[in-house]
Amino acid sequence: MAQLGFSIDVSRCSGCMACIVSCLDQNDLQGGGLAFRHVTRLERGSYPSVKLSFLSISCLHCGDAPCMMVCPAQAIYKRDGDGIVEVDRDLCVGCHSCALACPFGAPQYPADGKMNKCNFCFERLNHDMEPACVCVCPTRALGFGPLETLAEQKAQKASISILDSLHLWPLNISL
Amino acid sequence: MAMEPELPINSLLKGKIPGEGTGIEVKKTICSICNPLSHCGIDAYVKDGVVIKVEGTKENPHNAGTLCSKGASSRQYIYHQDRIRTPLLKKGDRGSGEFEPISWDDALDLIAERFIKLKEESGPESVVFFAGYSKWMRPFLKRLAHSYGSPNYTTESSLCHLATVLAARLNYGSPAGVPEISKTGCLVVWGANPFYSNTSKVREILDARERGMKIIEVGPLLTPITAHADIHLRIRPGTSGALALGMAHVIIEEGLYDKDFVENWTHGFEEYRAYVKEFSPAVTEGITGISSSLITKAARLYATTKPAAMMTGASPTVHHTNGIQNHRALTALIGLTGNYDQEGGNYLVPPSYVSVPNGVVTREAEFVQSRPWQEMPPRIGQDVYPVWCKMAPEGQAMHLPFQIRSGKPYPIRAMLAFGLNHRMWAGSDFMLESLKMLDFIVDVDLFMTDTARIADLVLPACSSFERSELKFYQEQHVIWTSPAIKPLGESRSDADIIFDLAKRIAPDDSLMGQGYEACVDWILEPAKLKVKDIKKHPGGYTLKDVKMPPYRKYKKKGFPTPSGKMEFISSVLEEAGQDPLPRFKEPVLSPRSSPEVAKEYPLILTSGARLPMFIHSRTFRLPWTKGLRPDPMVDINAKDAETRGISSGDWVSLSTKRGAIRVRAHLTEIVSPGVVNIYHGYPQADINLLIEPDYLDPISAYPGFKALLCEVKLITEGMRRM
Repeated sequence: MAQLGFSIDVSRCSGCMACIVSCLDQNDLQGGGLAFRHVTRLERGSYPSVKLSFLSISCLHCGDAPCMMVCPAQAIYKRDGDGIVEVDRDLCVGCHSCALACPFGAPQYPADGKMNKCNFCFERLNHDMEPACVCVCPTRALGFGPLETLAEQKAQKASISILDSLHLWPLNISL
Repeated sequence: MAMEPELPINSLLKGKIPGEGTGIEVKKTICSICNPLSHCGIDAYVKDGVVIKVEGTKENPHNAGTLCSKGASSRQYIYHQDRIRTPLLKKGDRGSGEFEPISWDDALDLIAERFIKLKEESGPESVVFFAGYSKWMRPFLKRLAHSYGSPNYTTESSLCHLATVLAARLNYGSPAGVPEISKTGCLVVWGANPFYSNTSKVREILDARERGMKIIEVGPLLTPITAHADIHLRIRPGTSGALALGMAHVIIEEGLYDKDFVENWTHGFEEYRAYVKEFSPAVTEGITGISSSLITKAARLYATTKPAAMMTGASPTVHHTNGIQNHRALTALIGLTGNYDQEGGNYLVPPSYVSVPNGVVTREAEFVQSRPWQEMPPRIGQDVYPVWCKMAPEGQAMHLPFQIRSGKPYPIRAMLAFGLNHRMWAGSDFMLESLKMLDFIVDVDLFMTDTARIADLVLPACSSFERSELKFYQEQHVIWTSPAIKPLGESRSDADIIFDLAKRIAPDDSLMGQGYEACVDWILEPAKLKVKDIKKHPGGYTLKDVKMPPYRKYKKKGFPTPSGKMEFISSVLEEAGQDPLPRFKEPVLSPRSSPEVAKEYPLILTSGARLPMFIHSRTFRLPWTKGLRPDPMVDINAKDAETRGISSGDWVSLSTKRGAIRVRAHLTEIVSPGVVNIYHGYPQADINLLIEPDYLDPISAYPGFKALLCEVKLITEGMRRM
């Protein structure tokens, strides 16, 4: 299997934060500052012309993960096959190097001081279930899959709306 | 797909994978944290009798596996430390907050003894029955009230949703109908934010949008739907009515209305046409703050796209001192454009069960009215709000504190409430003090709330995970739930409490005597559905042969109004001495109507718009949802904040003539300059303390939560917490 990734359709994300909570529930986290997923709300412009957008991100399971490079205990590794970035918490020494290196704020530190983060719900994937955050998403903004497939889907969707907007053919043709 | 290698057991447990190995079982239930139009299907992951995780039910067509942040927090909701574990009897003075446990039998016997005595002394009408949240037990509570003899069945609908139905019924004799999103060409979203209040609807909206449906959004706030809207009419709060009349002006002047419908099926068009003449785009711009060109553009888009549908929120358009007339004005546009009960427009489907319209024919309305109104004394509010009592099948609870105090036209002495929250009332302190004047209060709730604390008897209800109930969905899905877990402590199902009380206080009601399931069977009789058959499908099932009502039913039967037509001038209002036209009036407190007040309180206050993680007060106490927005915040535009020296996150005082609360400032462009917005119900910052108890619509008694006047000031250094 190829590298897995999350996808987000920013046009559909409404900032409802269900993804955060379902992840807390799945992973028995306390919430507040400690969460594997974060939702950011962005306002651009000022009255009367304002754009409101939202983005939900977690660990992106980078191809060339900086957290892995800097981990002195070699506790972080990429899984064979699906490329999920995992942490072996038994090896973690709680030095926070990964947090310094990660550009996305993914590494989290529960009470035991050891790093924890999104593991893509790989146990669920193994049982044909979606990651908890993808399953819960009310607008279907969040998705996941092998990167190539995601790219193909996005290209297709964008192409269809471009073609649609061009009105290249009349609708309801009667022959 | 190739077989994946099996994971070790500790990995499966960590991933909460159901199966024999892990001992995790998936039990089907529903969420009932928000309103009955949702109540999403839930897969409860149960291990050793404890819920360890929840997930949306994939095969439930309503939520299709999804949940909102509230439903996803179910685990913290059902196991919260504030859950009441046993019936509690007040010790000492009212409000001391001291209780002692009492057995269920003793508690129910005590209620019966008091209620029977009250009936003898002051008549059954002196006892008020009230249903707040959740709403699933409403049919049974209403029947209990009437079988006992009291007309005073009241609910949270005294300030939510029902006034929108009332306004539409004044126009059409029936509700405004369900917007058929999947079939419409243009959707007007008027004062609604389905992204945060009805999340299961948004997939349909987004999918329709992607296939080209136009969207017109009306409302003072920027919401997640704004980015999808072709036009956003960002009105000044409280001016929906004027905007609707302005749109009608354009539609009529330009001849874009449905002439056939207007000619054959409406009453009072000429008077209405004469009235809307006053609302030229320029005049309407002056009132609403929306440019005349945008008003014209929106009116044309709505009137010329066929079909077009209108979705209104549960309350934002009626939480005004002119709420009913405003809502009449905007729902009149549906008929004017020929979209009433039209395919892809607003489709009239009567409610089947607990407010859900899905085409299934039941006997709910007959069931709940076990005694006709004529055989009971007048309801609370009937003297002051006769139109409400004529059109709504319940008393008007907003009038309750006034009647408790005046004793007119008769004394109110006791209350049996399910999910009572005094902070729901404008002037919430006035309501709390009024409640304390009652002789006897019983409150049934999941949690020990601030209102439960002043009750004489507090009874523990269980959550939807711990009970059995019938649930209908708009998608014709039906489920009879089985308890996913045992009730917490001694908590019981609301229905069991009601039916046990019925035996004691309404012994002559032989149908209720047969219990909850028998009553549901009775209600479902016309649909040929039986509880025992529904039970056979643990996750519910989708009914196959539901016969949906036809479109344009008025063509056969006329409209159920006094004139038999859609009424631009309302015969019911005329008879009640109210203005029969959907006349626009400024909010009682607005910069235009009360400039003197506005000198000291120059900002327009609008309250109660939804946040995604809260539904009223119901998820405030859960760490997961609270963590998403820890402090009460007031939304204030950067320009208004700047002139007041306020930065984002500062503690500020939000005040009206009536009082002040302490909240944090959230600098945002979702509100326009001159408008501030705050969420309702916070125990530590209750906005309803700032609103007068009589700041009400004169027809519906709905409070004017969505438009009044306030000021925001920075709290000085010494008073700051951080």
